[in-house]
Amino acid sequence: MSRLIEIALGIVTGIGGFLEAGSLATAAQAGAGFRFELIWAVILGATCLAFLVEMCGRLSAISKHTVPDALRERFGFRFFMVPLVVMQLVMLMVLATELGGVALALQMISGVSYRWWSVPVGLLSWALLWKGTFGLIEKGVSVLGLVTLAFVVGALHLHPPFGEVARGALPRLPAHDGAQYWFLAVSILGASISPYLFFFYSAGAVEDRWDVSHLAINRITAGAGMGFGGIVAVGALVLAGMVFHPAGIKVDSYQQLPLLLTSALGHWGFVLFVASLGIACFGAAQEIAVTSAYLMAQGFGWRWSENLPPAEDARFSLSYTAMTAVACLPVLAGVDVLKLTNISMVVSAASLPVVVLPLLVIMNDRRYLRDYCNGWVANTAVTAIVLLAGVLAVVSFPLLIAGGG
Amino acid sequence: MRDMLLVRDVLDKQLVDRRGERAGKVDGVVLIFSPDGPPRVGYLEVGAVTLARRLGRRLGSWASRLAHRWGGAHTESYRIPWNLVRAITLEVSVDVDVEETRINVIEDWLRVHVVEHLPGGRE
Repeated sequence: MSRLIEIALGIVTGIGGFLEAGSLATAAQAGAGFRFELIWAVILGATCLAFLVEMCGRLSAISKHTVPDALRERFGFRFFMVPLVVMQLVMLMVLATELGGVALALQMISGVSYRWWSVPVGLLSWALLWKGTFGLIEKGVSVLGLVTLAFVVGALHLHPPFGEVARGALPRLPAHDGAQYWFLAVSILGASISPYLFFFYSAGAVEDRWDVSHLAINRITAGAGMGFGGIVAVGALVLAGMVFHPAGIKVDSYQQLPLLLTSALGHWGFVLFVASLGIACFGAAQEIAVTSAYLMAQGFGWRWSENLPPAEDARFSLSYTAMTAVACLPVLAGVDVLKLTNISMVVSAASLPVVVLPLLVIMNDRRYLRDYCNGWVANTAVTAIVLLAGVLAVVSFPLLIAGGG
Repeated sequence: MRDMLLVRDVLDKQLVDRRGERAGKVDGVVLIFSPDGPPRVGYLEVGAVTLARRLGRRLGSWASRLAHRWGGAHTESYRIPWNLVRAITLEVSVDVDVEETRINVIEDWLRVHVVEHLPGGRE
């Protein structure tokens, strides 16, 4: 029975944790610009994430080591510095984006500029990490994150043409605006395949003391959680395809996005949108901040656990403190959150090969995985998707700078 | 008896102390050369100065000077004698108590000077 609850919670975590500022904004832009044509990118991203999450859970359950542990131990300190520095920079940008998302949600209901919300939001996020436990962060915010299912409800409410939606699930060359199309495709991949998610998951499996008996749960959680989570993002994309695309609206700020749900669900749509944006971004912000601390602690061998009081793992706790504090600054300075979102997602996609390809080497190392190494399907699928995302990202950098975003 | 390679199986592995506490990673392995015999493994090193040295000679000497200015000998890398190594698996278990070493000198400094001054940090 308790295993059933564990599975259910795992799936809920996947659904509630999937949507955040990046996946919401990129899905809305894709729907507005290309109606349903980019649904395939969401599905590809969610599939790749499911593979990676499953791998990281398996690594931790079998070896009792996390991904950063293994990266440092297997490849040595000099190599480890590369994913460490790249990941911390990417996570800093994405964290600022998420804090900005929460701040914008608060601006929408209060009328007070998002800039002034950045510090209170950062403080609240920090305080919950400081006083809370791993379970609180993982389960608490994710359960609240189920509110993001409003995007699926909203999409169904508008009776989308299912044939056309299904056709969008197959990749196609764009009929117009090729540069913008590929830029959005890579942004969606970057938003879906977030390294922080599977690093967080691998640390969680060690926090929760997983062993071989958790492998089945791990597989179901990864598959179903990320699968249903992807559906939420598809819901947002379909809504944008039905609301923004026919009206010719181009998404250039978060303030336009409540229209997605108000046109389907009226006043409640506004409430649900603000709640979704605020909660989803807040949950992501906490996961990113703590993952940044995990990466430091596990890479350098410090004592770490989100379940310990801060006095017992000072370096770990101060790592997420510093990360949160620094990430508040761009928001406080009034950065354009949507621009930051787009840049972060492309940078995140570009960083994927650096993080994921070494992970694949570890997943095929019998000293860590014993008889549970990767099969060829997982190896091939993840290598292909990650290289695709990396190449697309590098190609789209010039587009981004030229104003393609 | 299985083969063991110092770089593959010892360097960069998680150090675990007598009580199972995490005690840093094996940041360096020190060999001792003596005139009357072959070189032998002397110590495992733990510390930021050792790590900086591995990134580059100049960075290493810079880190060493900085460490001495701030904390003197306290901040030099800590050396664990090879004969205290008890097991080498995915981790390296050593027969020391991390609290009796200065491996956690930065951790302890941060706890006393920063964490305990923040609300909810004194527990």
